[in-house]
Amino acid sequence: MFNDLNPLLHQQLRLSVMSLLMNVKEADFTYIREKTGATAGNLSVQINKLAEAEYIQVKKSFKENYPLTTCSITSNGRIAFEEYVTSLQEYLKPTK
Amino acid sequence: MENEKSMMSNEESLRIIRSMIESTKQDLRDNGSWFLLWGWLVFIACMTHYILMEIGYDKPHLAWMLMILGGVLSFIKGLREEKSQKVKTHIDEFMKHVLVAFLVSLFIVLGFMSKLGLSTYPLIMMVYGFWLYISGGVINFRPLRIGGIINWVLAIAAFFVEFELQLVLLGAAVLFGYIIPGYILRNNYNKAVKLNPNTSKESYV
Repeated sequence: MFNDLNPLLHQQLRLSVMSLLMNVKEADFTYIREKTGATAGNLSVQINKLAEAEYIQVKKSFKENYPLTTCSITSNGRIAFEEYVTSLQEYLKPTK
Repeated sequence: MENEKSMMSNEESLRIIRSMIESTKQDLRDNGSWFLLWGWLVFIACMTHYILMEIGYDKPHLAWMLMILGGVLSFIKGLREEKSQKVKTHIDEFMKHVLVAFLVSLFIVLGFMSKLGLSTYPLIMMVYGFWLYISGGVINFRPLRIGGIINWVLAIAAFFVEFELQLVLLGAAVLFGYIIPGYILRNNYNKAVKLNPNTSKESYV
């Protein structure tokens, strides 16, 4: 029996952000934008969705008078990502 | 990146996860700059101390004033890296604690030089070995681990020799522990940058 893939994670940009944040402690908005190749507007929307679901934590601060947005994954996000990968593996297993 | 409505196959999901892991992996690469900076400074100080002793200069230990220059350069370099750092990895966090442990141990040895006498340099090499071996293990870089082992061997050897020869052994310890691995790291890093120009130009270890 297959589990449904988490729709919040089953989207290119949100999955990219989550995969990236799984690998690091925290990352700046600009770093995530560079790595994903997304537009600032689209990335901002998707980050908000992940933050609303409490999958990531968004910290706003200032660095040399410029606003700085830093994102990190939460334990909820880590669990959701792991579940997503497990479900994905189930789907991709060759059927007997 | 596409918007919310775009369809994504399961294979596409896996590809995204893989490519993001691969892209952050590139940023974990160290360009060896810290190892080269401190390796060369300590090496030059050692050799200068040795030469000044050999020519009979009465204050050969002044060669170690170079460490003040190292401190200032490290402070500036550290600030610049902090400013340009866009991502913090788990390795960064771990290495920060290891660096604190290394520096505290080193300063305890240096602070009690007068009590430790001829045991000072062997203990410094022992602390270097500890730092190099752990760093090499964390970034999975064998030349650093080998450098750490060489430092431990030279530390043991240094307990049995005169001060002049200890200076030469310390020079050899930084050559094998810092300078050679530093150049290998830099070489690997430059190759990675050539292959993937998006690799961050920061040092993370």
